[in-house]
Amino acid sequence: MVGLALKNLSFYKGRSITTFLLTFFSAYFFIVYVAFMDGSHSSMLKNALDVYTGSMQIYQKEYREEGGYDYLINDTQKVFNLLDNTRGIRAYSARVETYGIASSGERSAAMMLTGVDFEKEAKLSELKKALKEGVYDSKGACLYIGSELGKKLQVKIGDEVSFVGSAIDYSFVAELFKVCGTFKTGMYDFDNQSAFMNRDYFDEIFLSRSSASYIVANVNEMEENDRIAEEVAQKLPEDLRVYTWQELMKSMVELMKIDSLFGYISMSLFFLVIFFVVMIYGFINVSTRIREFGVLKSIGLSDRAIDRLLLDEIIILTLAALALAVPLGAYTAYYFEIHPIVIPGMSEMYKQYGVVSDTVPTRFSPLTIGWNAALVFALNLLSILYPMLYVRSFTPVEAMRHV
Amino acid sequence: MKKIAILLALIVLPLQADEANDIIHKVDQNMRGKSVYMKLKMVIQSGGHTRSMEMESWAKGKKRSFVKILAPSKDRGITFLNLDGQMWQYIPRIERTIKIPPSMMLQNWMGSDITNDDMVKQSSIVDDYHAKLLGKKGSIVTIELTPKPNAAVVWGKIVSQIDTTHYTEVKDIFYDEDGSKVRVFTYSGVKQFGRYFLPTVWRVKPFNRKGHMTTIKIERATYDGVISQAYFSKSALKRFSR
Repeated sequence: MVGLALKNLSFYKGRSITTFLLTFFSAYFFIVYVAFMDGSHSSMLKNALDVYTGSMQIYQKEYREEGGYDYLINDTQKVFNLLDNTRGIRAYSARVETYGIASSGERSAAMMLTGVDFEKEAKLSELKKALKEGVYDSKGACLYIGSELGKKLQVKIGDEVSFVGSAIDYSFVAELFKVCGTFKTGMYDFDNQSAFMNRDYFDEIFLSRSSASYIVANVNEMEENDRIAEEVAQKLPEDLRVYTWQELMKSMVELMKIDSLFGYISMSLFFLVIFFVVMIYGFINVSTRIREFGVLKSIGLSDRAIDRLLLDEIIILTLAALALAVPLGAYTAYYFEIHPIVIPGMSEMYKQYGVVSDTVPTRFSPLTIGWNAALVFALNLLSILYPMLYVRSFTPVEAMRHV
Repeated sequence: MKKIAILLALIVLPLQADEANDIIHKVDQNMRGKSVYMKLKMVIQSGGHTRSMEMESWAKGKKRSFVKILAPSKDRGITFLNLDGQMWQYIPRIERTIKIPPSMMLQNWMGSDITNDDMVKQSSIVDDYHAKLLGKKGSIVTIELTPKPNAAVVWGKIVSQIDTTHYTEVKDIFYDEDGSKVRVFTYSGVKQFGRYFLPTVWRVKPFNRKGHMTTIKIERATYDGVISQAYFSKSALKRFSR
């Protein structure tokens, strides 16, 4: 039957070439499109996690809902000991956050000031790499300030910034700080409202001592993150809770899911067109061969065998197209993962969506490529169903007399 | 019968709205006068700590007010100016005048449970909200205040209990846009100052912050006296800080 199918394919060249090309291009573009979509999502997420968020964070239970100084972690050392005894934790650090008004001259802006251990942060986040001007790990009344916030306040290295907020005991705090370093992570909101200060001086001003708003940790292997987070959660005191990056970046993850959904909807419209074109070509081809099927039926070929013949034809065409499209698509996905496309100015244009780089990488995933190819294969098989039913509707005599 | 009921409703509902507006205006008048000077004490309980502050305030009409902190000594001389809806602060320790940006208007004022917006938008209850009479029980009326369309307000609704004996507030419950209770103001110790009546003890309790409460005690109030125009300019922040 395969031999007969091959003969038919070479005889009906028009249909074969059209089906082959449509299948090839749709499979190739599908693989590349999904690779770019997944790649840009992974890149956004990775940037956000690497820059500051880390792979998990530990909070007092009510902190994320209620906020404020009432829900700080007071015994950070206890959590540090616990993290030291957990395998797979690469680095951790405590952060204390406060909000207030930063002002310089006539300009003022809301600012999130975070007290950090600069040395530990360097192992944990991209804050050090994001240094734009000045010094990263300054001491004393020094600020490491976001570049956009610096622009808003019109300050440069060495300038003074006044800060008005409240200490941990809610008493009034007003201080003058010096800008010692500026950073640019590329995440607009973050760069627009954040500033950092060495922990010792922060504790002195805001009376935070050994407290922390939260403790951030990174793991050696991201695949292990959920398991390690679960292990940490079991060891933690009852009033503390671990949040994994999926929970911390929930809105971003959801946004990406929605974006992927719209991407797949657009692709499904494209596939619908391809599916109908392939089916119509298949149907026209079958229509012109009704008399041939009539002869085959009259010499004893069953409907099932004819179905098999048609199936073999579409399977051969699809497999041939996929055999070319999959390696080519996989190579494209792999190539652009290593050498991402660079679109100058893209990060500036899409900064509000968390795009921090001008590169558009792909994500090479054999599993994704596999299901992409399987979907194209399944759709092509589906496209031959109606032509098969059409052939079955004729008796041998009707088919032989068909004009 | 149905027509009579509709007719009655058409007559009664605007009357109720007028009555509610009238009550709110009288309360506002009692609080504000033509001008008012006050000496206040604020006790702030938060996170297991208790702090107290003393201050003086001068206000003229709805758009101008000036506040000076007298105690504790570390905050003495901090001044605030509310001028036409904008708020400025002078801090003598760092010798800086700071404009409070709009994004910080909902931040707590000096670590208390009142916000910067409370300091600036006291007039908005009258100007930015529709008043509706919800009920009467003796001399106490309950009025619901809902924002007028396009009014730049932060509360979704305020339910206010007012004692109509002297037109003073008894209790205000503030709701957010989702209809959840955010905080409650309770007022007591009504005293007469000239021809005005004013509750002299205000308690502010946020619903979402356990153990937090701010008590404001009005120790002295002088209505309709002469208040120098000099208080209501940016230069006053530094000048009257001393």
